[in-house]
Amino acid sequence: MWKRSALIASLSLITLCWLPRLRAQSPELPTGPLQAKVTTACTECHESRIIVQQRLSKGAWTKEVDKMIKWGAVVDPADREGFIEYLSVNFPPDKAPEQMPRVALAKKR
Amino acid sequence: MISRRDFVKAISGMVAAAGAVHPLLSWAAGDSPVVIPGEEGMIVRSARFFDLEMPPEFLDSWITPVPHFFVRNHMHEPSTLDPETWQLTVSGEVEKPLTLTFAELVRMEPHTVTNTLECAGNGRAFHHPHVPGVQWQKGAVGTARFSGPRLRDVLQRAGVKSTGKHVMFRGLDEVPGKVPPFIRSIPIEKASDEDTLIAMRMNGEALTKHHGFPARALVPGWIGAASCKWLSEIKVLDKEFDGNFMKPGYRMPNHPLKPGDPLNLDDSHAVTGLNVKSAIAAPEENWTSRSRSVQIHGAAWAGEADIVKVEISTDAGATWQAAQLGREHSKYAWRLWNYHWKAPKAGEYTILSRATDSQGRTQPETAEWNPSGYLYNAYDQVKIHVEA
Repeated sequence: MWKRSALIASLSLITLCWLPRLRAQSPELPTGPLQAKVTTACTECHESRIIVQQRLSKGAWTKEVDKMIKWGAVVDPADREGFIEYLSVNFPPDKAPEQMPRVALAKKR
Repeated sequence: MISRRDFVKAISGMVAAAGAVHPLLSWAAGDSPVVIPGEEGMIVRSARFFDLEMPPEFLDSWITPVPHFFVRNHMHEPSTLDPETWQLTVSGEVEKPLTLTFAELVRMEPHTVTNTLECAGNGRAFHHPHVPGVQWQKGAVGTARFSGPRLRDVLQRAGVKSTGKHVMFRGLDEVPGKVPPFIRSIPIEKASDEDTLIAMRMNGEALTKHHGFPARALVPGWIGAASCKWLSEIKVLDKEFDGNFMKPGYRMPNHPLKPGDPLNLDDSHAVTGLNVKSAIAAPEENWTSRSRSVQIHGAAWAGEADIVKVEISTDAGATWQAAQLGREHSKYAWRLWNYHWKAPKAGEYTILSRATDSQGRTQPETAEWNPSGYLYNAYDQVKIHVEA
């Protein structure tokens, strides 16, 4: 039993590795002067869906941008303020929550 | 044990099949559902890193099927995992450092624990002011039967020195950029508990990749982050691990903060056990009932404690009625509950649920705010419309 289930698990994960990444289907960030730079800097490590679900104050966005720069996000120091402004304008606390997609049900429950 | 020949043969078959599987994975336009093999009905909080939330309606099963079990990753999942070459090392404050293979762990005596696993950030989206992080609502939680050797049996083989106070776990997550690796530790007392496992199976099957294949720590009753996935290294330390995901990550204030206040790390502690909580599976938010007879049900859990009571209010908390607890019961596992309510008249109603545990803790009306949104456990609520 172990042999079979371990084999199936290993093969499932190997199969997933062959599947295309979901990056291309991530939501596009809002238009604006920093759209391209924010997209490039942030989505190097994670998809834009992580960003669009946040609802933060400018102070909280400042902390997030600085943390991400420390963790390797490539942001020109001259753009730091612009990043914070772009994110806090587009994803403020009072914006309605983002709707997230659902995975299909394989069969009717 | 899988032979190398079998493994290579099988991989070859899967590579050939990959082209056929490929079209299954696609985002459809608009709100159409996504197809991800092995996952069903889940809310996609992030596809990279992979974070899936269970929708509340699945809080109706004592054992959560793996395709409905939430997935939380801080990093990229390992790109390759080969049980033939995978090893688990045990080192640090031990007499005899060990290197264990998959086969050696499989041969050890297994133990099974039915555990409700919950992400520390479950419910983060409900905190005000909002806090950063994956905006989990109700479903970063699930209950499964985890099996594998006891961690203490492995530690006994290595012989923990008297200087060993904490046990550190490291997994094979692939770390992007300069992000600190996901390494955490638990106290030796919890590591030595008879129910703390090196889990290799979940609901009777080998772990899937998303849940930590080939082995993960299983620290029952504690936040999900304690149960490190894709386990590759166990190290016994003379003190708590000093790293980002122990501090400043996963800290709670020693004294309640005012919402919006910063956390003083010198006056904080590591998040460990889950607190008391209930959640409503049905009716769903904004549901319209054509009958005054309404079945209300859900689940309640309390980490290392037992649920002793779940109460329901249909009048904004003025009065509470006891729900009936489900028969299925096990230490560390949630209790299902249900309550049959007869609405007095047609109208708009807010249904509340709150749980009480064996430690005397009762779910509060307002959760304790903290800057990372951990351990949210305010009363759950749904608004419904009764027509009849």
